[in-house]
Amino acid sequence: MTGAEFVRAYEIAGADFTNAGRASTGIKETLKHMGLPSALIRRVAIAAYEAEMNTVMYARHGTMTLHVTPEDVTIDVRDEGPGIPDIALAMQEGYSTATPEMREMGFGAGMGLPNIRRNADQFVITSEVNRGTALVMTVHVS
Amino acid sequence: MSDTAATGAAPRFAAGTSGARTLAEVRAAVNGVTLWCPDDSPAVTGVVAADLMSDVLVDARPGNVLVTGLVNVQVVRTAAIADLAAVVFARGKSVPADIVDLARQMNVPVFASRDTLFEAAGRLYAVFGSGLAEPAPRRQA
Repeated sequence: MTGAEFVRAYEIAGADFTNAGRASTGIKETLKHMGLPSALIRRVAIAAYEAEMNTVMYARHGTMTLHVTPEDVTIDVRDEGPGIPDIALAMQEGYSTATPEMREMGFGAGMGLPNIRRNADQFVITSEVNRGTALVMTVHVS
Repeated sequence: MSDTAATGAAPRFAAGTSGARTLAEVRAAVNGVTLWCPDDSPAVTGVVAADLMSDVLVDARPGNVLVTGLVNVQVVRTAAIADLAAVVFARGKSVPADIVDLARQMNVPVFASRDTLFEAAGRLYAVFGSGLAEPAPRRQA
């Protein structure tokens, strides 16, 4: 890192489908104000939104933190929830444990984690059953 | 378009017609009602039709119009996150005021159509059939 780092954290409430997406929208607006390229902002926003929806759908609570440096935009999402017993399985497109309520919102089709990986230059996921899940996704600025 | 407008039928465009299309033309093609749209002159890049927002986040390109039978706040948020040009709510479903308010806040034009999703997609395919934008790269089977 060669310059100053911008950091902002957003709280995410589990099962709050009304407000789901507000954190990602806030991140997108912040990146717009910074003047970053629109294609980069879109990739970050989509990855953040998928992660936020996962947190709302599956976890009790989560925190999404935006880190911006001159080189990278990183989204760090940590939740308190059931965790993921088999990450490799969860990363497969189409695999889902979603409830009907989740599907009624247009999500829960097993596309979220693969889409995060598709939009991020780097993506790390770790999870502990009955504790929670952590995602770190990075998009390079240059 | 006056001939079709006089009969109440949806205006049609020749399949494969090239050139930029606007939100106004999209709305006309599906006999849409404007729920909120401050300016219907912007060009759109194409159309994505889906009820699954996860698919929209994969397949849609910036500037696309989303046609959907799903009515909830996540449709508007998905459109805003994915830089979509507008949303057409199909199937004649009632769109609650809070969704229109959110669309206004997020600057996402929204229209309603009595067409089924199939009909709306078909009419818009006639407009965009030649493809105004590169299709999204397909996911691996």
